[in-house]
Amino acid sequence: MPLDTSTTYPLTRLRLDGRRWNELRLLQAQISTNPASSGSSYLSMGNTAIMCSVHGPAEGRRGEATGAAGSAGAIVEVDVNIAGFAGVDRKRRAGGSDKYVQFSLRSISQSSRIATTLRSAFQSHLHAHLYPHSTISIHVSVLSSDGSLLAAAINACTLALVDAGIPMPGLLCGCTAGMSGSASTPRDPRHDELDPLLDMSAPEEQELPFLTVGTTTALPVGENNMDEEEEESKVAVLNMDSKLHCSYIETMLAVGMDGCGQIRELLEGVIKGTNRG
Amino acid sequence: MSNQRQASSASQTPHLSPAELSYLYTSLSLPRAPIRPDGRSPTQFRPLSAESNILPGTNGSARIGFADGTQAIVGVKAEVERTNLATDTLASQSDVNDSEEHQGSAAVSGHGSWVQMSIEIPGFRDDDALPVFLSEMMRESLVGSVTEGSGKADAADAAEMAGGLKGRLVINKRWHWRLYIDVLLLSQPLSYPLPLLSLTTHLALLSTKLPKLKSQGEEDPFFDDDWAVAEYLYPRISSQKTKLPSQYVRPPVTLLVISVGENVIFDPNREEIAVADAVLAISLTRDSEAGSLKLLSIRTIDPPSRLTQPAVPNSENVNMLGAPAPTEDIAVLNPVTGEEEVPGVWRPRRGGIKRSVIANMVQTVLKKGGVGEDVLEGLEGVEVE
Repeated sequence: MPLDTSTTYPLTRLRLDGRRWNELRLLQAQISTNPASSGSSYLSMGNTAIMCSVHGPAEGRRGEATGAAGSAGAIVEVDVNIAGFAGVDRKRRAGGSDKYVQFSLRSISQSSRIATTLRSAFQSHLHAHLYPHSTISIHVSVLSSDGSLLAAAINACTLALVDAGIPMPGLLCGCTAGMSGSASTPRDPRHDELDPLLDMSAPEEQELPFLTVGTTTALPVGENNMDEEEEESKVAVLNMDSKLHCSYIETMLAVGMDGCGQIRELLEGVIKGTNRG
Repeated sequence: MSNQRQASSASQTPHLSPAELSYLYTSLSLPRAPIRPDGRSPTQFRPLSAESNILPGTNGSARIGFADGTQAIVGVKAEVERTNLATDTLASQSDVNDSEEHQGSAAVSGHGSWVQMSIEIPGFRDDDALPVFLSEMMRESLVGSVTEGSGKADAADAAEMAGGLKGRLVINKRWHWRLYIDVLLLSQPLSYPLPLLSLTTHLALLSTKLPKLKSQGEEDPFFDDDWAVAEYLYPRISSQKTKLPSQYVRPPVTLLVISVGENVIFDPNREEIAVADAVLAISLTRDSEAGSLKLLSIRTIDPPSRLTQPAVPNSENVNMLGAPAPTEDIAVLNPVTGEEEVPGVWRPRRGGIKRSVIANMVQTVLKKGGVGEDVLEGLEGVEVE
């Protein structure tokens, strides 16, 4: 029987996996994992594990990048594949049998949704105008999924793109934030019993409202940015599928952006650590 | 369309000129001492890195990467399923005793359809020829490896691996395990991916664990929820234990072997496959009784050398008309293919292989201390804990 977060959390202030509200799961990452691609990465956040490889910038395959759209800059292609063994139950595929089609449709829609979000995020984030008439193709394989898929995919893609040497203004980091309750009524400032939660796992995602936020740092242009101590982060991706009262959004967004900052430091460590070795 | 056709053949043929193909063929077919482009010996495999038990959410998993960057990840998942044989529907019509007996025997020996395999290769659809052919070829040797054993094993046999993999999946008469083997190729196949996928699957199956059964007999299955006491699908051999022969059952391995002239070459790369006379996939496993190796199947694979461009000998070349005919440009009979060829002029191979070459291949794989034993031992050595 799965434990119910909304009943145990108010008593213990500890989440199902023993974390406090503001703690990330263990994040481990590697870059240059696959020598056959231009850039590649492996990233695990808790039990979510993702491999990502980048090919390009290279000449487009089907001539789509050579059109009017291609002359403006590189086109980003994203392909997301959620492995059959990624979830708790093994996902049936359309190839197996007809009666499983509706299962596979659901999983396909999830992967294509992630792919669409990633494509639009990185298409505008990368300095694609430096590579006209070319294609940057990103292949994401989800090996194990335990919540925060989109956020983990954003982080893995960022690492792989850095490994491929594709210029971007800053690291694009993603993180999820949720509320520890259904949060369907307006927030009461005097009797505030709901906590925001950072970095949702799969059981939490199933029962609590959450959003995914991706931030990037502003490009330090000009002299006046040099002496500015605090890096300003900008929201580049914001995605939310669940329903909650709008008075909670601000808190969740703040917590999520803070999580993105923590993840950025971790990813920077990974990139710099690889350079040294 | 031409892409599709090439892909369904052994692999995409590299763009080599007839002269290059001929050079490669000649050096690979040197009697008894072939020279391979990467300097390996004929039985030497490419270096690879392997690890197993990498995914927390699967019963067993493995990753193997070749140095050229091709990587495969295999995840094995097991689910409990009610044994629902086709005989159930007949039970209502025919004699009840008779059908029950029939069902019982099938439930003890297991069923090949309980193992499902799917291969995902980037750039290919699920139902393309290559993934379907590869998965069926590997699944077949996996479930077929025990047909003999299941015939001999009677229900009273207490050995865990009675009936091999199929028998191991039986929980009791009404319940069984269903095994899903998902193979993920992480990059475009540079050479024919069969050996990579087969080795990775072997490794993943070695690391596969099933939860320990607590219920007994014909009860509904009930498992120990402590993963630490889970049992290996293929029981491991501990050094202290006496080596029971029945515990020697191992998942099969499929090796890719090519023949060039009289030579037999293992683990060919893309260029070597392109000049092969014949490409064979040899499946083998450990024999449960003798402890030696057992040949499971040999399959021929459409050699891509069939699709290469032929070269034109000088005697037939229009541009060389009038030039004095060189003396060495005389067609000789190739002893292997039985065709007339001019030495140094590439002719696409038409397939076909001599019995002596196949016998040589099988012997190299199966003999004591041979290639098969080497591969199996190497895979066993990968730390599974």
